[in-house]
Amino acid sequence: MKLCEFIRPATLAQARASLRKLGPKGMPLAGGTALHFMPGKTPVSAVDLTGLALSYIRQKGNFFEIGAATPLSDIQRYRSPRWAMHEICRRISTHQIRNVSTIGGNICRVFPWADLPVVLLAMNARMVIYSGKAKEMGADEYFSSQPARLFRNGDLLTAVKIPVLKAQHGFGSVKATRNAAAFSMVTIAALLELKDGRIAAARVAAGSAIPFPKRLRSVEAALLGKEPSSETFRAAAALAGTDAKWCKQEGMSAEYVAGLAEVSIVDALERAAEFARGRTA
Amino acid sequence: MKTNTCSVSFSINGEKKTFATRPDEKLLDLLRREGYKGTKYGCGQGTCGACTVIMDGRAVYACLLYAMQAEGRKVRTIESMGTYDKPAPIQQELVAAGAVQCGYCIPGIIMSATALMETEKDISDEVAKEYMDGNLCRCTGYEKIWVALRRTLDRAAAEPKKKASKGGKK
Repeated sequence: MKLCEFIRPATLAQARASLRKLGPKGMPLAGGTALHFMPGKTPVSAVDLTGLALSYIRQKGNFFEIGAATPLSDIQRYRSPRWAMHEICRRISTHQIRNVSTIGGNICRVFPWADLPVVLLAMNARMVIYSGKAKEMGADEYFSSQPARLFRNGDLLTAVKIPVLKAQHGFGSVKATRNAAAFSMVTIAALLELKDGRIAAARVAAGSAIPFPKRLRSVEAALLGKEPSSETFRAAAALAGTDAKWCKQEGMSAEYVAGLAEVSIVDALERAAEFARGRTA
Repeated sequence: MKTNTCSVSFSINGEKKTFATRPDEKLLDLLRREGYKGTKYGCGQGTCGACTVIMDGRAVYACLLYAMQAEGRKVRTIESMGTYDKPAPIQQELVAAGAVQCGYCIPGIIMSATALMETEKDISDEVAKEYMDGNLCRCTGYEKIWVALRRTLDRAAAEPKKKASKGGKK
């Protein structure tokens, strides 16, 4: 994408005003890595969001709040007893990209291979959007279609709120790739809540092998009330085809991708159950 | 639409400088135009790592940054490292291990290794490999580069102990 101007607003209000004025000729920029690959012959004005103090991670009440301009490497390195976001962030792209690419950039315009939307769907995250004032939106609504729709009028994503996992909660994610830095073939994330040795709540999401990340609601329903065993997980994963139409990819048939997705779902659920048991113990 | 010219100021290898640029000029292009040609153009799309520089202590791809993004930052290139007569430890070990064949990837490898050594303590193999996962080498198969890096890390880890034991004798 060609840039014809580089604007550095001092406040969120200024950034929003610039983007509103520019319309489709304006482009918010944080890490900016994706801009280099976006098509478009018409030059646009970049509105730099990195000077707006949007790079931070802090725990506030029942949420971890991550500033939208926080680089993935900061999320990867952050540690807290009930923190699970580092697991997927260390698997995204390369060290140099993680040092620049931001959580906001990853989820304001969702590419098919993006991992973070999958994780945020499973985590039931909340997105904070600035539209003159701050408003929150749950992950299900936010990722119901391309989130770029929410920012066409200059509104800005300012933070992502991740619920702090409780003692009986477990989270697991799996990213299947050809090599360490490759795009995902299948990404699965699962959040389980165990109560009295059974699954009381479940959120399972998938991405990369489908056109847009989504929750696997048939899989979730099949888990409820069951014991968190391998048999339960395999039976639930077998229903994933009801929720998602797996797409063939380079060198892989749709049947192969479906098999890979099922195995990945079972792995993610096993990890989530282990996590939950560890917390319960 | 006309592309504006603009200027960007940042510290390059410890020197504060201001450069004329364009909003869409890549940091890599600016650096090479200004004579910092040790930073290599490889893939130009953030895959190979030949253009790796250190910005505010972090390894980044200069090909995936607009020059304007460096405003007010501290940028270090391979030119800030050792010289032919006085190579840095990582450069010495790369040569000793026979890890430099065509040499095109080496500036990027050195900058990633430097970011690793300046950021982390008690560096495990896992952490070292994480820092190096964005640098490709098509000559060596990585083994010799890995040997050189591990020797450099071991040297650095032994260094404070040597100093401490010297201090102890006094």
